[in-house]
Amino acid sequence: MTGPALVRVRGLTKRYGDRTAVDGVDLDVHAGEIVGLLGANGAGKTTTVECIQGLRRPDSGSLEVLGLDPSLDGDRVRRMVGSQQQDSALPDRMRVGEAIALFRGRRSVPVEGLLEAFGLAAARNTSFAALSGGQRQRLFLVLALLNRPRLVILDELTQGLDPAARRDVWEAISVLRDAGTTVLLVTHYMDEAEALCDRVLVMRSGQVLDSGTPGELVLRHADRSSIRFAALDEELIAGLRLLPGVDSVGALDGTVEVRGDRASVAYVCAELTRGPVPTDLRIDMPDLEAAMVSLLSRPTDIDTVIATDGVVPTLTGGAR
Amino acid sequence: MSTQHTPTTQTTETARATPPPDDTARPLLGSVLMLVRSELRLVLREPLVLAFVFAFPIVTVLVIAGSFDADDEAFGGVDPSQWYVASYLAVVIAAIGLVMVPVHLAAYRERGVLRRFAAAGFPRWSFALAQLVMGVLITLVASAVLLAVAAPVYGLPPVTTPLTVVVAVVAGALAFTAIGLLIGSLVPNARAAQGLGMLAFFPSFLLGGGGPPPAAMSETMRTLSDLMPLTHVTDAIREPWLGTGTGLALLAVVVAVRVVALAVCARSVRL
Repeated sequence: MTGPALVRVRGLTKRYGDRTAVDGVDLDVHAGEIVGLLGANGAGKTTTVECIQGLRRPDSGSLEVLGLDPSLDGDRVRRMVGSQQQDSALPDRMRVGEAIALFRGRRSVPVEGLLEAFGLAAARNTSFAALSGGQRQRLFLVLALLNRPRLVILDELTQGLDPAARRDVWEAISVLRDAGTTVLLVTHYMDEAEALCDRVLVMRSGQVLDSGTPGELVLRHADRSSIRFAALDEELIAGLRLLPGVDSVGALDGTVEVRGDRASVAYVCAELTRGPVPTDLRIDMPDLEAAMVSLLSRPTDIDTVIATDGVVPTLTGGAR
Repeated sequence: MSTQHTPTTQTTETARATPPPDDTARPLLGSVLMLVRSELRLVLREPLVLAFVFAFPIVTVLVIAGSFDADDEAFGGVDPSQWYVASYLAVVIAAIGLVMVPVHLAAYRERGVLRRFAAAGFPRWSFALAQLVMGVLITLVASAVLLAVAAPVYGLPPVTTPLTVVVAVVAGALAFTAIGLLIGSLVPNARAAQGLGMLAFFPSFLLGGGGPPPAAMSETMRTLSDLMPLTHVTDAIREPWLGTGTGLALLAVVVAVRVVALAVCARSVRL
């Protein structure tokens, strides 16, 4: 269930010299949603969010953020949007409490509770340089939320963090989700988008290739699964071939491999319970990462087809 | 949590037509004052600043003001120790404008701190204005410390026209902070700013008031000294202090050039 559109971008284009960084992007973010902007480095994600914040002036296209045009009302948009920018730090000697005092606006939320919620209550007098990577990112989250933003933009929030610290930050973002905060999350980590986002847009070379829920993207672009286990009797293998959704059943060196769509896994597993269940059962289900790899590795001429008529072509491996 | 939104479709259209009242405005003056407060604290924790702006002028003035005989003719009849004490406020100004401000600004640009200020809705110009205010404030504080240390050793020369001296100190501090902002916005990173700053600082220091008196210089060095902006700041402070002239005319030229420089750099770089 989503609310009104807080961000509405149509045909956004931004060039740096003769390089087109963003090329006709459409993007909506509705109230209460966590939307992910995915893509490899240099896909145009950061430029897109910088245009949304009015930090860059688009070459063409229309933008409406919280009812305002960020190119005209940039200062005002930025005060209503909480943001974490990529590669943007604080001065080393600035302490947590000082950063909050500096960035706190007139209608900020009670700071104590915010620091408590993000596990920084004990770090008030710690300088930025002395914070761990995870603490720094959590501080950026606190600063982004400080002034009751109507929209939060997080650009590569977990870049360079170790896995534990990333989980930590994800936990913090889940807090936002539960509070109904609207978030536009820029990332190139698929697991992050899968864990946090209601909806994702995949960008390459400045264009949006596809969008939908993580589940929809996986279905569209990484539909195949595979199951492997030690060989059983011939009769069972023949039976597996007939199950719905199964494409192929192969046997090699005593290992059987069943390939099929995602739903076929359920049928195959059910079938396996009819005999002695194999102890080495191994199931590979594609995730968003697989969908992205498949989506992003498609040759560019197919992209043009999608861009013009919206048809998603069947994937043919090794087309490059 | 307080960031909650109520997704009511009813507000959709109205929200689009009329944006919510702007109760989050950051007025320019308030922003500048907040930045000054925060920046002052940070800068005074910076070892480079403490060394160059506070310690260096004090150590060197204590050495050089005692290095000449009291009747040395190169000082035009003025006691050399008085001559130097009255000159060294300009060294403080040079250290701020050529070392402190460029390194500080370049470090902020390098680390994306300025983008963070912009994204937080700090008005354009607020950072540059805060630096100018800070340049003047630190000049005043460091000058007071310098004079407090020099006083018991050499005594303070009586100030002939105090108002003119204050105007010269403030104008000189503004001019050199502006040049510092220009250097800091052109160099690629903090290290380059430090290198370039030192390269600009030491010749200015030696030829522009902190080194030998112009009368003791060779013809070539005296010509170079006349070309140093710092020389005119030094003269504009020392002459009305010791009652040997006003020196404000050339300072006006220096300030004018710097204001233009600042405007140019503010246009080319997002300050």
